[in-house]
Amino acid sequence: MERQYWIRSKPVYTSLLWHEKATAHLVIAEGDGGMAVLKLLQQKYPTQVVRGFYAKSSDSLKNYADIISSLIPDEFTVFANANDALKSLKNSLAEYHMGTRFYVAGSEAFIWQVAKELYDFGVQDDDIEKELCGTLARSVYCVHCKAITHNVHHNIVNCTGCQRKLFVRDHFSRRLGAYMGLMVDAEQPGDIPTINEVYP
Amino acid sequence: MSHLNVKVAAIEQVTEYVKHFTLVSENGEKLPSFSGGSHVVLALNIKGRIHRNPYSLMSSPLNTENYGVSVRKQELSRGGSVFMHEQIEVGSRFQITYPVNLFSLSKLSHKNILIAGGIGITPFLSQIVDLNRTQTDYELHYAYRSPEHGAFREEIQEMCGDRSHFYVASDGQLIDFNDLLSEQPLGTHVYVCGPEPMVNAMIAAARELGWPEKHIHNEQFTAPQIGESFKVKLAISNIELEVPTDMSMLEAIEEAGVDAPFLCRGGACGRCELEVVACDGSIIHHDNYLTDAEKNSGKKIMPCVSRAKCQNIVVNL
Amino acid sequence: MSQTFKKETFRDDYTFSNSAEAIKRFPFPFPEDEYMYSVNIEPHVKTAVGSVTEFVIDVDEHYVAECEDKKITLERDPDRYLSLPHMMDAQWDTLELIMDSMSHDYPDLFKLTKDGDNWTWINKPLGITNTFVFGDASSLPMDPLKYIGCQAQGDWVVLDQRDNNLFADAAIVTSQADWSLAIDVGMSYQEWHGPVPIANEIGVFDRALKYLLNLQLGSPVRRLNWTMTINPRLDTSPESYPLWGPDRLSITPENVGDKVHLRVELQTLFRLPRSNGIVFGIRGYLISMNELVTNPFWAKRFHRILKGLHPELAEYKGLSFKDVTVDWLSKYDDGTPSQ
Repeated sequence: MERQYWIRSKPVYTSLLWHEKATAHLVIAEGDGGMAVLKLLQQKYPTQVVRGFYAKSSDSLKNYADIISSLIPDEFTVFANANDALKSLKNSLAEYHMGTRFYVAGSEAFIWQVAKELYDFGVQDDDIEKELCGTLARSVYCVHCKAITHNVHHNIVNCTGCQRKLFVRDHFSRRLGAYMGLMVDAEQPGDIPTINEVYP
Repeated sequence: MSHLNVKVAAIEQVTEYVKHFTLVSENGEKLPSFSGGSHVVLALNIKGRIHRNPYSLMSSPLNTENYGVSVRKQELSRGGSVFMHEQIEVGSRFQITYPVNLFSLSKLSHKNILIAGGIGITPFLSQIVDLNRTQTDYELHYAYRSPEHGAFREEIQEMCGDRSHFYVASDGQLIDFNDLLSEQPLGTHVYVCGPEPMVNAMIAAARELGWPEKHIHNEQFTAPQIGESFKVKLAISNIELEVPTDMSMLEAIEEAGVDAPFLCRGGACGRCELEVVACDGSIIHHDNYLTDAEKNSGKKIMPCVSRAKCQNIVVNL
Repeated sequence: MSQTFKKETFRDDYTFSNSAEAIKRFPFPFPEDEYMYSVNIEPHVKTAVGSVTEFVIDVDEHYVAECEDKKITLERDPDRYLSLPHMMDAQWDTLELIMDSMSHDYPDLFKLTKDGDNWTWINKPLGITNTFVFGDASSLPMDPLKYIGCQAQGDWVVLDQRDNNLFADAAIVTSQADWSLAIDVGMSYQEWHGPVPIANEIGVFDRALKYLLNLQLGSPVRRLNWTMTINPRLDTSPESYPLWGPDRLSITPENVGDKVHLRVELQTLFRLPRSNGIVFGIRGYLISMNELVTNPFWAKRFHRILKGLHPELAEYKGLSFKDVTVDWLSKYDDGTPSQ
């Protein structure tokens, strides 16, 4: 985390709200993103078609799948895991039309995996509502060896590719779905700052 | 701003109200390539005063031998189109800007819907060349008043084949925007150019269907409005001048010998924005650039199209 | 300009140096004794004979050595050239701009002949000749931007303009001042300028963006930026930080003159015709402190600039060796006027 100045590339996530004007709504959620889905269902329900993909996750606090299924069984399809959901999403996007509004909720890694699928169909980043749920865990791209280390909870991480200790920056690449990781002790090898869990 | 010196190589009467002008470089040099949707601003000397009018480039963007522009004769205008129709002849010379594009095709688009009303067809002709060249999916929907006003219809049919659709109002054919826009695949962008009511109707239909703003594009030049005269003081140059009824504020400033920045001259791009230091009346905004908040603040003005209803307005130029 | 190209290195043994002529024409960027960010954009027009802005693209005595260094960097890390799929028109626009300019301004070194779309390009200093079809990527040995980017000094970032914003969607970058193309490719203007302090608050970037969105064909602009490097190293990327990072702490009062370098970036921006994009050229010029102080006015001014530099700026530019450099420069500053 960098406090000295605000880094504009760091994504800011919002709370999901239905768009009033739409032809259809597509909601894609994973794990604790289920809570964001439930929050949507607490709002005035849209008059247009709603479809949803929900991917179960072993990290979830609650059994969102069951709750969602009990509320709107026809609109949501439940998947055992994120990969299955993403695959099914990819295969169904050709059916959707302009006017469809997109909502994604879950971990940061999941959000950007979904975004990538949507980009392939010409959906632009601003067209996608994103709510970060459950964990601040980061994916970190090592600029030195190019490996991406997932599920990072600390400000400094051992790169899974080259073992260097990387400082986890706030500078974020949407293309990679990862934060920049830079060797923390290049100037003075071994001189590592305090390692803290800042992305629980 | 750099200029190109051109002369008219050919003039063609396309329809009753539309003339097409072919322009070549005065010294026979190649003209710059450009991107589809671009326009140039012609500097026309009308009765001793320079009028600057933007016209879309209709020729192929890859054609460096000549440029083509079309002008529709507008009776209720400040004279630019009338001048083009009645005074410009083959051999006439004037300056034009380099091509400027305020209506470009999105390179991320998977499909493009082009909607033209009347003379609004002009920017699409160069865009179609780019779309054909890059083999991007598109449709052109061209609405016009009656058969004799369908300028360039044949040319379009040749270039677009079955991607082109025509709507002749006198035959009762009208574009149903809701129909047109309701089942387009993801990644489609829509572009519209034509009379204001048509543009507004299309945009309203797209928004109602839930099309995101960034997928909706429109080109709409606002012509400078005719209005009451008013006095302007340029605070930095320390010059006072009067903006007469038939001149825009920007033109009046230029007449006074001051080099003011500008680009589109149609209230769209923001380049000519001036800070208002004082105004003892109100600003009449005619542009499409400032936000409502900015317009209400009274601290900014776009001199290419806007005016003031006052005794005196002071700007930071 | 001299047609003798230097044989020198920008890594490992760092044999780079400037001739007296190169020092004389060095683009010293400070008009005052104090420095702060500004929208210091001006028209990119021809200036005095012999200056770095005499021509559209400057080719100097370091041309061959720089291109060689660029080649090494690219071989070791091919991701220093990246392009998103929709950028081909802009790549060709850039190739045309660079080839037209260099062949026009240095006819003894570069030759371009066009027969319709069949072009022949001869680069004498690098011994490259190619005949290709303009617009047909298969007729070149590699993507057009990579092809020509390897033959022009400096980095080249090609921007797509859309949604009232600019996006760095293609680039060849081998001499950057500490930013990563792998991370930044595809970013919007605000995103790639993200990690810069202060300037955001004073609105410099937003005003510059507004200006750039209206950049006109035929009216390119330029500005100067600056930073400092230890050793005349071109590849000061985050990627290779483990290689150059340790040098930052190796500065002593004895080696400042040799190792500490002022690095000035001549940034040029051109509107591109067919793509309506913008190409951003970032051309670095290096000068050691020893070379710099041969000009007594520069010595005084730079001493004052560094001494008074805002601490956040110093930190962002990575100038951990600032104090020892200021001390070293102080002996050249007698307090008299610096111009």
